[in-house]
Amino acid sequence: MRLTGYRRPDGRVGVRNHVVVLPVDDLSNRAAEGVAALIPGAIPLPHPYGRLQFGEDLELTFRILSGHGANPNVYGAVVIGIEPKWTERVASEIARTGKPVETFSLEGYGDLRTIERASRAAYRLMQEASELEREPVEVRELVLSIKCGESDPTLGLAGNPALGQVVDLLVDAGATVIFGETSELTGAEHLIAERCATPEVREAFLRTYRDYVSMIETKGTDLLGSQPTEGNIRGGLTTIEEKALGNVQKTGSRPVRKILRPAEPVEPGEGLVFMDSSSAAAEMITLAVAGGSVLHFFTTGQGNVVGHPLVPVIKISPNPKTCETMAEHIDVPLPDLLVGEIGLEEAASRILDVFERTVRGRLTAAELLGHKEFVLTRLYPSA
Amino acid sequence: MRKLVAHRREDHVAVAVTDLAPGEEVEVSVLEGGPPLRVLVCEPIPLGHKVALRNIGEGEIVREYGEAIGRATRPIPAGAHVHTHNLRSLRWDFGRKA
Repeated sequence: MRLTGYRRPDGRVGVRNHVVVLPVDDLSNRAAEGVAALIPGAIPLPHPYGRLQFGEDLELTFRILSGHGANPNVYGAVVIGIEPKWTERVASEIARTGKPVETFSLEGYGDLRTIERASRAAYRLMQEASELEREPVEVRELVLSIKCGESDPTLGLAGNPALGQVVDLLVDAGATVIFGETSELTGAEHLIAERCATPEVREAFLRTYRDYVSMIETKGTDLLGSQPTEGNIRGGLTTIEEKALGNVQKTGSRPVRKILRPAEPVEPGEGLVFMDSSSAAAEMITLAVAGGSVLHFFTTGQGNVVGHPLVPVIKISPNPKTCETMAEHIDVPLPDLLVGEIGLEEAASRILDVFERTVRGRLTAAELLGHKEFVLTRLYPSA
Repeated sequence: MRKLVAHRREDHVAVAVTDLAPGEEVEVSVLEGGPPLRVLVCEPIPLGHKVALRNIGEGEIVREYGEAIGRATRPIPAGAHVHTHNLRSLRWDFGRKA
């Protein structure tokens, strides 16, 4: 494969070269968006949280925010918060990668002066980033991620087994590939448990899965009506077991080597790894990007349109109706695989071809259409 | 062009990869290999939806991918549409577990 990317000061490799304007809290969204309005190309990541969170939930928010600044697709970060202490906490984690980070807090300055100062920083970072050149990179230097959404049985038959072949090939070439979707393993969790590389990994996986089920039980409810979703049911999926058995096809066949907490950072070269995560598209992708994923593969049956502000999301669909009615969202249409006119190997080589071109800079459907979903996972309410 | 696909030979259901009309006798390709199966479709089946490959009794565990995907909530004749009206998850059933 002929791949090019951007090498960061810590040696990690990105496939995009963004400058990010990161609000630490909801109150700083306005300033972050103000900076992005003045400096075209700088990417703001507004979100509704970051105040009065505590404990594990706060740690997760910090991990997601600093993980986005630290992601190898980012050249440098402008971090803005209401007060300096938490702002510094997020910024110092990003600075550990050696990339440029500038921090600003609103108290004592107000929006207008902060926007001016932070815009001057973003201006400088954008110009520096623009001088960085792509260089040849290897698959083994990449962290990637996978998920499916608006699933239907065409994924279990065609889209996911094709992606599974690609995942095997990338893992064999040394990449790290993150999969997740804890709730969506229900009915197929035994198949993932069997593939765990060691008894310790298996125990960690089963503990994560059981903790999730216990959490639902304590709510006194079940997920009927949510898993599968109404869109899944319309597409032909009847039960969570059926959805899960289709879902796991995309993980390929290699051993599961690590169990990650949500948004936990992971290095390249770790093989196939599981991240405890929501099955909601934008939440899962956001957690994987915080963990270091620089490119995401997304299979869809009924037509999910998700993207991410920093990471190209490659959409793959074997559903002929979706490929026709939502063509502008699909990077790799595979309806001929569904009806058996091509085989899995041909389908996998088409996905790999688009992967190579996307790594080298080709824009994905989601990038072209401006899909920039950035969604924080919360564990419980704020104080 | 194939119209109905099953994952395993022992599966109770196959998935339509095109819209199917009642009265059609359709060949079923089996992904794990071997000769195709046949089924007479007795209801309209939209693309992506499931068809019973044999008669399934009420309460029987229904298999796809060679694995359990739920339990039949009423008898399902071969060729019928299998979906939420006649198949229910064995999971998300925490209240009823011992």
